[in-house]
Amino acid sequence: MTADEAWRGAGLEERATAIKVQSRRRVFVDLAPVDFKAVVAWLVTERGFTHVATVTGIDVGSEIEVIYHLAHGALVLSLRVAVSKEEPTLPSIVDLVPGAAFYEREVHDLFGVAFEGNLDLSPLVLPDDWPSEIHPLRREWPADRIHRRLEGT
Amino acid sequence: VAFTPIPVGPQHPALDLESVNFTFHVDGEKVVAVRPRLGYMHRGIEKLAEGRTYLQNLYLVERVCGICSQAHTICYAQAVEELLEVEVPDRALYIRTIMAELERIQNHYLWLGVTAHQMGFETLFMYTWRDREIVLKMVEEVTGKRVNYDINYLGGVRRDLTPEAIHEMRKGLDQLAERTKYYTRVCKNERTVLKRTVDVGRLSPKDAEALCAVGPTLRASGVKRDIRADDPYAAYEETPFTVITYEGCDVASRLWVRCDEIQESIRIIRHALDTLPGGEISVRVPRAVPAGEAISRVEAPRGENLHYVRADGSENPARLKIRAPTLANLLPLCTMFVDMNIADIPLIIAGIDPCIACAERMTFIDPRKTAQWSWSSEELRRRSVQWYRKR
Repeated sequence: MTADEAWRGAGLEERATAIKVQSRRRVFVDLAPVDFKAVVAWLVTERGFTHVATVTGIDVGSEIEVIYHLAHGALVLSLRVAVSKEEPTLPSIVDLVPGAAFYEREVHDLFGVAFEGNLDLSPLVLPDDWPSEIHPLRREWPADRIHRRLEGT
Repeated sequence: VAFTPIPVGPQHPALDLESVNFTFHVDGEKVVAVRPRLGYMHRGIEKLAEGRTYLQNLYLVERVCGICSQAHTICYAQAVEELLEVEVPDRALYIRTIMAELERIQNHYLWLGVTAHQMGFETLFMYTWRDREIVLKMVEEVTGKRVNYDINYLGGVRRDLTPEAIHEMRKGLDQLAERTKYYTRVCKNERTVLKRTVDVGRLSPKDAEALCAVGPTLRASGVKRDIRADDPYAAYEETPFTVITYEGCDVASRLWVRCDEIQESIRIIRHALDTLPGGEISVRVPRAVPAGEAISRVEAPRGENLHYVRADGSENPARLKIRAPTLANLLPLCTMFVDMNIADIPLIIAGIDPCIACAERMTFIDPRKTAQWSWSSEELRRRSVQWYRKR
């Protein structure tokens, strides 16, 4: 199977809102939140993308992009979904790939995105007494604002 | 985040690495379940990176890890170079490869020593750390430093290999090959080693894949996956080498994978020195990076390392995401403890070569005794050595 055949197919192409083939080994796919889990399920079970390398969060203004980096051989397929900052919720993929659990927890810590179905979203990298409204990698929380908030000034 | 007061909790007194806390649920001597807690030394590097230029970040990334800094800077530089669409000179790619493999050798030697110490085999600990100096001298000869080499640059490398350095490196490699052969024999035959590692900390191939394990931890469960071979970078495409796997799924296999990997690294470096291309070692790159995104992967000594860079056209990255291999191996680690003895905990933790090597405070909960107590890693290590001495 060529790298191209590994991911092309109705399961992905029908649902993708955009596909960018950056190189033979790097492909970025934009998906709507309602579709993305079905695509992950299809890639994991039908196409052998069982390795979730990590999950990246990015604050892009009014939305948070969550990117799932699925790897298979040389290919890294990055599935991107955007959620609103007001209601940042996505379905968890831990039932499909148990190894994604800590990556979702990390994104939950740093961006405040909730993953429905991930039963443990307790702090992984943040302290226990960290104020729940501070999501440190969001743009509205520059380092000095976090510092002032924690110092109580 | 860099300024925020973060509780620096469990710290190891001997090895100055980041810390992790594990809460173990035990039934008598047996571990039932475990819960890790990170964050004791979360430094906010990804946040810091957004306020620095691409070049400044190279030096920040160098300091993600004191042991595998080469793996991080190669990974980061590759992502930025992809966005800049620059062609890195061949000679630089070979020097990166040589340094990455020297790093793997010193990492595996350091790890072998720490692991020997955990099993109470102090002689092996001292011998391996003495011989690790051979690699550190080579690294120092080339870069001027023993750790945090700062050899990579955006568009190439900062220092060339001189004929003298190459000559010394070849001599050192011969010495190391001999010593590694000896340590491999010790690890495969010595009773102390076998008693403490065979069938300890099992990770089935199925669990290893489902939990997305990486590196020697994955390969010791028989899964043949290595970024150098699967998604080649630097000079690995032109370099013949074997991806080492063992089928034991235990700490012993993790030990043997690394012993054999040292020999493979020596072979890779020799091949790179034999075929080292001439020419420039770097090209000039602009300060601003065009908008876009890139993913770079590197096989660090501990496994797959991933950097994601988002550029917005300015001189600073809009986002730098780093996933170091230890985070990937933490979930697999938790399954390894189940049904093992408390005395096996130190070696199982050591088995994944955690960069958060030190669980200074460990909490034990035994529901039958309704008891809860804490041990430091040193107390636990001593107890484990004594426990096994009686058996």
